[in-house]
Amino acid sequence: MPSDIVDDRNILTTVDVKKYYPIREGFNPFGRSQRKYVRAVDGVSLSIPKGKTVAVVGESGCGKTTLARTITLMVPPTSGSIIFNGVDIAKEKIKPKVLYRDIQMVFQDPDSSLDPRIKIKDTIAEPIRSLVGGSEAEVNRYVRTSMEAVGLSEEQGSRPPKQLSGGQRQRVAIARAIAPQPKLIVLDEPTSALDASVQAQILSLLLDLQNKYNLSYMLITHNISVAQYLSDQTAVMYAGNLVEYGDTKTVIRKPRHPYTITLIQSAPIPDPLKRNLLSIEIKGEVPSAINPPSGCRFNPRCPYAEKICTEINPPLREISPGHFVACHFAEKTGT
Amino acid sequence: MSEKSTENLVSVSDLTIVYRSEAGDLKALDHISLGIGEKQLIAIVGESGCGKSTLALSIIGLLTRPPAIVQSGSIDYRNVNLLAIAPKKMRQYRGTEIAMIFQEPLTSLNPVFPVGEQIAEAIMIRDLRKSKSGFDPTTQSDFMQKTYKVSTPKVSRLPQVRRRKLSGEMKDEVIGYLRLVRIADPEQVLERYPFELSGGMRQRIMIAMALSQKPALLVADEPTTALDVTTQAQVLKLMRELMTEVSTSILLITHDLAVASQVADRVIVMYAGDVVEDANVYDLFANPLHPYTKGLLSCIPTGAKDETVIKPIPGNVPNLRNLPEACKFASRCPFVMEVCKHKSPKLVEVQPDHKVECFLYAQ
Repeated sequence: MPSDIVDDRNILTTVDVKKYYPIREGFNPFGRSQRKYVRAVDGVSLSIPKGKTVAVVGESGCGKTTLARTITLMVPPTSGSIIFNGVDIAKEKIKPKVLYRDIQMVFQDPDSSLDPRIKIKDTIAEPIRSLVGGSEAEVNRYVRTSMEAVGLSEEQGSRPPKQLSGGQRQRVAIARAIAPQPKLIVLDEPTSALDASVQAQILSLLLDLQNKYNLSYMLITHNISVAQYLSDQTAVMYAGNLVEYGDTKTVIRKPRHPYTITLIQSAPIPDPLKRNLLSIEIKGEVPSAINPPSGCRFNPRCPYAEKICTEINPPLREISPGHFVACHFAEKTGT
Repeated sequence: MSEKSTENLVSVSDLTIVYRSEAGDLKALDHISLGIGEKQLIAIVGESGCGKSTLALSIIGLLTRPPAIVQSGSIDYRNVNLLAIAPKKMRQYRGTEIAMIFQEPLTSLNPVFPVGEQIAEAIMIRDLRKSKSGFDPTTQSDFMQKTYKVSTPKVSRLPQVRRRKLSGEMKDEVIGYLRLVRIADPEQVLERYPFELSGGMRQRIMIAMALSQKPALLVADEPTTALDVTTQAQVLKLMRELMTEVSTSILLITHDLAVASQVADRVIVMYAGDVVEDANVYDLFANPLHPYTKGLLSCIPTGAKDETVIKPIPGNVPNLRNLPEACKFASRCPFVMEVCKHKSPKLVEVQPDHKVECFLYAQ
């Protein structure tokens, strides 16, 4: 996407962000061999409008979690800029204490993201103490507000995480994220570890909180129906590249990239009269991020692939207002 | 309720299984009955803790007893009560007649052998079992010779590494099964180790191993939960196709109603150790009866936030220890009545081929 989209309507904009992980190889006595890299995120540009949700969907290994970690600077990007609130946080040295007041994260598995040994109200108080500060009474007030906001009772605050159900634990993780009153929350698979009925509770909670506090979300998920329900815009990733980006309704209902089409057809819908799953043909599997195929990374699996696809990796281009597709034949795929 | 109709391959009737622990008995299955017909794909749907995995393990005889205790009921497979026969006898059924695939194929496969050998081993055991001699060590070595070319390295100073190579008929048979599960390039794949394969390939290997036994029933416990959506679609499609190709029944355990709707012939919804609804897949989705099934369906987001409203089911699954005499869903049910709080409902056929366990439907 062009970088002139950097404006103050967006809370966060990434420009050509890359994250390569070097691969350690065994001892090689015959000189330096070529260094190899896992190209986890390979040039992603997208922006998150204020108060909106952008979903990043894709399968495991596509780089969506690495992108989330890069945006929150948990891992520094190899190159590219991350502009948060007008400041390039990838280049400017911003104290974590300042940055993480504004950007918070919710992880997939509350079992491993919550400290098992402390009471949950202390878990929630921790970011307030270290990022916001203030007297103990003020900290308690923050804790109470955020616990109330996620629907946890006063009494539950003095329990350790183990005495709560999975859904309640995820509420704790959300309460902790909203406690310092951030502007952007990165949600990494927030409901994948939960049962359907609990997932629905958490999804409605996330929507409520967004409306109440005007939060911006970046939602990382592999679940198309969750992305469709929660997000305003959807970005589809494949093998480290962004392959399609636009309004959620457009991307999910009128997908144009062949990969997005496959992905959406493979998502099961709860209707036995529409058995989409049994009629699709899918070739192959996700390529290795070390030696991705040349040209378009989807070309070995793509039904539309031609010679040009093995030579040139197509850039994102705008095929209709606000709808970007990285495909040489995006005009052909529309059905 | 008796379901011992002759057309069913497996009939579970009045099965109650508890897990004994110091904290008290946990009722994992509470007087459940269900039937699995020949060449049917039955999906058991429920959330964690509903007893669906306990049911799967009890059918294949892998429950550790104790702590699991069968308090009542039977599982009849072709007129043999699998719960009553000796563990040794059960081995005739487990794997051969009733096979199982698990959620995480990497933990089911042996990491130090190539997958081809592991499939060969399964085939070998099947053939041994079918030959009258049973597990006779002499025939076993015959089999080994037939199966493998064993070459011992000449240099004796080095640690003896026996390179076994699949050969002859066995190799062809293994390749045949790999082809059956649509693995491209089977000659290459059979020499690979599990870690060299992708999740979808590993699950196909597991399916190949299970089907090499020519089972009458394949129990699949969350077979696609660890897989990506496109891989999930491939594996589910494969299972559905193989059902007719090798004529087997499949019991699919899943937490995902959408998956069930896509592949199953019949769907059984479980909640807190009860079968709450049991119907033909088309009936169940067109006309769900139990409030829990309705609740689950309205939890699935099917559109954008401005078009659809998801209605979460309030509350949580009850504690399965010391359950009171009442409907287990009563505390979360929007249609709760006075009777629900004092009496447990029974599973009743309220429409042809559509059973539900709820007082709303004339008990």
